[in-house]
Order: sequence, then structure tokens, then C-alpha cells
Amino acid sequence: MSAEIEIHHLSSTRPQEESLTLGKWFRNIWTGLSTALKGMMITGKYIYGVKPVTIEYPEVREQLPANSRSRLFNDAENCISCYQCATACPVDCIYITATRRDSDAEKIKTKDGTPIRLDLHQYTIDTALCCYCGLCTTVCPTECLTHTTDYEFAQYTLGGFKYDYLAPDIREWRTRLVKD
Amino acid sequence: MFEFVNEASEPIKSDLMTVNMGPQHPATHGVLRVEIQTDSEVVARATPHIGYLHRCMEKHCEHLDYRGVIPFTDRLDYLAAMNMEWTYVLAVEKMLKTEVPIRAEYVRVIIGELQRIASHLMFFGTYAIDLGAFTPFLYAFQDRENILRIFEEVSGARLLYNYIWVGGVWNDLTDDHLVRIENFLETFEESIKKYHKLVGENQIFISRTAHVGVISKDQVYDYGLTGPVLRGSGIDWDLRKNRPYSIYDKFEFDVIKGEGLKGQLGDCWDRYYVRMMEMHESIKIIRQALAGIEAGPVMGKVPKIIKPAKGEVYMRTECPRGELGIHLVSDGTKVPYRLKVKSSCFTHVSALGEMAPGMLIADLVASIGSIDIVLGEVDR
Amino acid sequence: MHNEVASFIDSKVSGANATVNNPENGDSSVSVDASKILEVCQALKNGEHEYNVLQVISAVDYVDYLELVYILASFSKNTELLLKVKLDRGNDNNLPSLESVTSVWSAANWQEREAYDMMGIRFNNHPDHRRILTPDDWEGYPLRKDYIVQEKYHDMVVNPEAKVNTADHMFMKKLKETYPDPKKVSGSWKSDDGDAAESEA
Repeated sequence: MSAEIEIHHLSSTRPQEESLTLGKWFRNIWTGLSTALKGMMITGKYIYGVKPVTIEYPEVREQLPANSRSRLFNDAENCISCYQCATACPVDCIYITATRRDSDAEKIKTKDGTPIRLDLHQYTIDTALCCYCGLCTTVCPTECLTHTTDYEFAQYTLGGFKYDYLAPDIREWRTRLVKD
Repeated sequence: MFEFVNEASEPIKSDLMTVNMGPQHPATHGVLRVEIQTDSEVVARATPHIGYLHRCMEKHCEHLDYRGVIPFTDRLDYLAAMNMEWTYVLAVEKMLKTEVPIRAEYVRVIIGELQRIASHLMFFGTYAIDLGAFTPFLYAFQDRENILRIFEEVSGARLLYNYIWVGGVWNDLTDDHLVRIENFLETFEESIKKYHKLVGENQIFISRTAHVGVISKDQVYDYGLTGPVLRGSGIDWDLRKNRPYSIYDKFEFDVIKGEGLKGQLGDCWDRYYVRMMEMHESIKIIRQALAGIEAGPVMGKVPKIIKPAKGEVYMRTECPRGELGIHLVSDGTKVPYRLKVKSSCFTHVSALGEMAPGMLIADLVASIGSIDIVLGEVDR
Repeated sequence: MHNEVASFIDSKVSGANATVNNPENGDSSVSVDASKILEVCQALKNGEHEYNVLQVISAVDYVDYLELVYILASFSKNTELLLKVKLDRGNDNNLPSLESVTSVWSAANWQEREAYDMMGIRFNNHPDHRRILTPDDWEGYPLRKDYIVQEKYHDMVVNPEAKVNTADHMFMKKLKETYPDPKKVSGSWKSDDGDAAESEA
């Protein structure tokens, strides 16, 4: 074992203390105390001079900025099933299946006038896989897929993170989130 | 090594003991495991083991289109995500030969330097915690919160932004943001001086960091260390100055280097000092950028599907923790053929084995903190 | 600049066969013979070009062959160099090998370990030749293009069915079976029967 060499190394990195004189002893105490006091004065100013910056979470809830990227919401009525979101998704967490509408069926349009040619049968996002990168919402041509500012959506099971945007309970979010 | 002298006056040597520091250890800044062989308090040998946070990022990127890679680059050094994606985007732009609008360049510089401040604040806070002081951590987070709030409003996320895109940036900074950044810098400039007085000039802190973990200039070149570690050893090198990318050639700032003010050149205190003073330089750069920012678009013309021609580029930029290099190989399709990340933290950890012998265990904690590693970047 | 470097290498190391690659797009580079890499690196570090820092060793799998890219930088001359060597792919029992440059730059130590771990390139005379990012008992070299994911690792099933959302992937296939006109069904996900994602953009 080359421990002796290592010890030699130690003495080179941490210089040995020089012999302590009485003057040095007092000087050490003085520098230690004075720098500590200087720090105490800085921290002391914070006791009365600075307002608390934290908020008490469950009582006070923070409103996220308008373009925060939090839970996804797809407004299924305006979705034209173009699959661009699923293609752009880097983690492949969006699953869409659609069928082409019959040519003699009633013509429907999204709210910005794009004709809907496909009927959605499946629009599921596994939020547990989602990385909230925002690539899917920027490619969406009808802006039906959006990031909401909801941030409290903890679940007891992993399966709970799978959002089926055609299910009635999730469609109900629409009244809260989408302003026509 | 303790030496007991027995009656025959032969020294008795104690055995070396192997101790694992990490992977779950508050002072290793993540899941780093350092296998240390100690003789009482003295480290005889330290072997870092990495890979606990390996997420196959480079393999993933071979299956994603060029835009889809950006969220993954965020997750390299998650404390400086803006700089990470900036480097990657610069590499792609170098390959595509894309022109970036001038306003976008200014926005990138402002955002990148704010991120540098946020990252160095994180270093300041956690380093103080490593050495046993809790208050600086709270102060650092209070200021960092202001920056993250601006980032959140601009990019929509607090930590993993996906903000800098090929050809520009996603969202424009509004005039309100610019004013707020200006006001923040005003108060923050005073704060750093205060923080430096609180921590950097404290005698306990100096005793813990001066003369500890000295890295010589030769070792810096030998191990390829970069960033504040390199400058802490007294080398005048900054990519923003020496090989300006983006529009860094327009700004005036100084390259801070260690001078061995409290101990030896290249010790932990010098690296701390470089980072603290670099925040002042970042403030200088942001102020110049705020003064020079021009109106205009923030997104250039980029094809809908990014398909660079066949070839390879190597792009490196100065990130808060050191130089990040991206070696990008394209085969002409819409997915990168190979993406290799040269991570500065990876090289810094590799030098730990050389720094450690002869240290006290407590000094090893100070040394790991001073090279400021983020394990996300080490393991990728 | 690269021509100078190439002629410098040729003058210092015989048999290095330095050639300059000037592609239309991207950075140019210098290729040398794999058997002479140590001598070339020594010459580049100590010679007039002063490449004093090894930035990274990047291994690329070009299916027919492997390529190692040594990215060198000179902090005194402010230059960069992409130094390339070509290697055969070899096989599991006979990995491609070349001389380690750890004696020239200590930075090569971990970079070479990573190249071994990820691409399966053996470095002779390496002081600590182990895997670095993956566990020691890992099989295969993950960044090779022909890498196959292990089915089981330490009795743990890789990608268990419950965790890959099989039901969601198979939704389209099931709908095709029940829908009156299967041709009208389309989906975003490539299901196992090879349906490609359709795009109406």
C-alpha cells in the first residue's frame, strides 16, 4: 500500500500550521469573531427587514402564469384527428384512433372553420409518460390541444394518469377551461 | 496514518478501511458513489462510480426528430437547462446554416446569462449546505425564484424549458419582462456582495476551503477540465471570449480567474470565488443586452421537417459548469444519426480520483461541492 | 489548417496515412491509421500544434465499420481538431481494439471506458478497463446500431406488458375488427401489424 506517499501528499495540500504565538492566537479569535459577527448582521437584517416570500400552500394556492405548461386538455369537439401531436410527441404518450366520416354524413366544422373529416374513437394521453415539453400543443392546427394551468392532479394509481379525453367526466372540464 | 511507537520502536500501521460515500449521500449532489479507502480521517484513494442516473439519452436521440431532442437535452444539466438546449440548437443550426434573427440572439443571451446566475446561485446555496451553513441556501433560492418566475412566464416551465428552438426562441420577451429583469439585476447586484461577505469572507468557510482540493494548471489540461474549475486554477480561458458564439463578441466583460487570494491557486475557495464574481459579469452582459436589444421577429425561417445534409459538427459552448460539447452526426434523414454529449461534469468527476488522495473526508465533501457536478449531465 | 496538420502527422509518424476529409456540410476532419493512434496523439500534443486538451472521444457506428472521433483542442493556439480512426466491427468474442491514449491525456481514461461500454471498443494498455455507465454484468454494447434489448435482466422483465400501455396500442387493431369498413380506420400509433401512422397535414 502506498499510504506513505499519500500522507506526503496531504502535507503538501494542507500546509502545516505554523507554531502558534500568543499574538496569533488572539488574532485568530478576532478574525473568527469579526467575520462571524459581520455575517450575523446580514442575517439579522432579514428578521425584520424582509417580508416572507413563501406561501402557505393548502390555504393559499398559487395561480400559475397563463402560458404555464401543466396538465394537457384536448377539446375533442374541435379535434380534426390530424395526428400531428402524436407524431411530434418525443415520448409517444398520445394514442389516437379515428375513422373517416361517410361522404353523405352531416358536414361538421371546428370553431375556427376547419372541416372535420374524421370521427375520433380514441384520444388518450398517458400523463404519467408526458414530459410537458409543449411540442404537441404548438403543432396543433386547431389549437384544441392545450396545456392548462392545473397543477394539482396527483393520483393513487399509475392508471389514473391515463386521460381519455372522450370520457364524459373529462369532457366536463371544457366548461371551466375553454372560453368560446 | 497513525504511528504508534512500541517498545522496540517499530511503527505500527493501521489498516485501510473501505467506505462507500453515496449513492445516496447528501453531499454528493445526486447519485454519485465514491468508494474511498481511508486511514482514519485521511483518504488514501477515492474511486468515483457513476451510472446510477444513466437514462440512455444518446440512444433515445437516435430515434427522435431534431426538434424532439430538445426536451431531452434539458434533462442533461437540469439546473442550467437553457444553456444545454442552446448548445444543441447551435449545433443543429451550424449544420443547417440557419440564420437566427438578431432579436432572438439577444433574447438567448439574456436568458442564457440569467440561467448562469440561477445555476451559480444554486451552487452557492448547496455549497454552503455542504459545509454546514443553512441560511445562504434560503437566500440563494429566494433570488433564484425571481429568475425562475420570469422563465416560467416566458417559456411555460420552471426547470425544463424547451424554450430555445432551432431558428430562434419559442416565445418573445415582453417589455414588462425586460423591465422586471432590469429591476431584478438592480437588487441582485447588492445581494451578491452581501452573500459574498456572509459566506466567502467568513473565517470558518475560508478554513474549510482554502488550500483544499488544489488543482494545478497541468492537471487542468491533462484532464480537460473546463469552466469555473479551469478558471479557478488561474487560466485565462472563456469560450465566450476566446471563441465567441452567438453574439458574445458584442459584449464587454472580464474573464474571472482564481488568484489564490485566501490560499493556494486553484483551491476550493478560488473556484467559489470565480463563480461568485462571474455572476457580476453575467449582470454586465445582461445589462448590455437589455440596452442593445432590437425589435423584430424571434423565429427565423426553418423548414417544417428538419433534415440537415450529411455531415458532422462539433459545437461547444460555455455553460455554467464548464464547456458542453455536442458532436452531432447526420446521415441526411430527419433523425440524428449519432449525438454525443461532451459533458463537463463527466470530466470533472474523472479528476476526483486524482484530487482526493491525502485529503480529509470532510475536505472531500468540500472538493465535490466545489467542482459543482450535476449527475444528470455526468450520466446522461 | 487541416492540411498542415495532416502533413505534420505524416512527417512525424511514418505509416499514419493522414488524410483530410472535407465534407460539403459540417466540420472537416483528419483521418489516421488506427494502429498509430498513440504516436499520432503524442506528436500532436507535443508538436507545434499544441493540442493540449482532449475534449472527447466519440464513437460512431456506421454499420459497416466503427469510427472513433478524437476531438482535440488547443487552448494555447485556440484551435480544434477532429481526429478520426476507422475500426472493424469485430464480434462479441473479438472486439475491435486499439492503443489507449491515457498516457498522453488522463482525460482519455474515462472517455475510453465510455467508448468501450457503449460501443464495444477495446483499448490496450488501459489502466482501468471496465464498464462505466452500465452495470458490470451488462450484455452487449447499447449504442451499436444492432443492439438488441435484453429480455430479462437479473430476473426482472424488461418492458413488462403492464407498463407499455398495450391496450392503448391495440385499440386501432380492435376497432378494425369490429368497424364495418376497416379501411376507414386510422390511428396515430404503429401497431404490431405494421400500420404506419397516417398524416393528413
